[in-house]
Amino acid sequence: MVKTLGWLAGAGLLVGLIMAFGVAPREVTQGNVQRIMYVHVPLILASYVAFGVLAIASVVYLARRHPAADRVAHASGEVGVLFVGLGIATGSIWGKPTWGTWWTWDARLTSVAILFVMYLGYLLLRGTIDDPERAARYCAVLGIVAALDIPLVHFSVYWWRTLHQPPSLMKPGGFTGSTSILWPLLINLLAFVLLYAYFVARRVRLLRSEAEVTA
Amino acid sequence: MPDNWGFVAAAYGLTAAVLLMYWRRLARRERDLDTLRRRRP
Repeated sequence: MVKTLGWLAGAGLLVGLIMAFGVAPREVTQGNVQRIMYVHVPLILASYVAFGVLAIASVVYLARRHPAADRVAHASGEVGVLFVGLGIATGSIWGKPTWGTWWTWDARLTSVAILFVMYLGYLLLRGTIDDPERAARYCAVLGIVAALDIPLVHFSVYWWRTLHQPPSLMKPGGFTGSTSILWPLLINLLAFVLLYAYFVARRVRLLRSEAEVTA
Repeated sequence: MPDNWGFVAAAYGLTAAVLLMYWRRLARRERDLDTLRRRRP
């Protein structure tokens, strides 16, 4: 199962790469630098999925106290931090040639930076508490509270005046651009969600093995 | 606007490198745990 997920994610990423460079057109205003979108947007959206799964697993943990739910939350948080960190980095690289700056404290960038720091704190909190049950309980609460920032990140471009453009995919009325842009974006989104699932499955297996070895 | 291929390469290259490093880290920890398990009586 885990291996199949890995192969599917690998194949998806390869097809996504071909679509991003071979099928998607050169954007009229920004030129080829706009192709960064096909990695930046899927990374950020997959991190929303990761933090959403973390929040649900945290609720399940608090309700049932099942260690499996805590392991899913832990693994999802780790992969989510990796994805959102890369999303911020690729966004910054895209921002320099298009906005003329690597970083600006506008609402979207600030809220996503807060999201990154909160989940980084979530992972650090796990490492600082020795009692696994207490660590799981505290982290579950933080995981649920931190998830409240996700809608803030997403809607920040509507609620405040920002340099960042409005969402490409998840917006009222749906995607309005060309299908030659939409399909590469959707294929890459699917590939990154599969990669997220693959990493989480492996990390959960690893956490279970670690618990068995240390028991 | 110029194409800025260097920025495109940097974004894709950084993503590929970091994801590959994470994948290798998971594989290494799995190997270490297997070794530890085999050594235990």
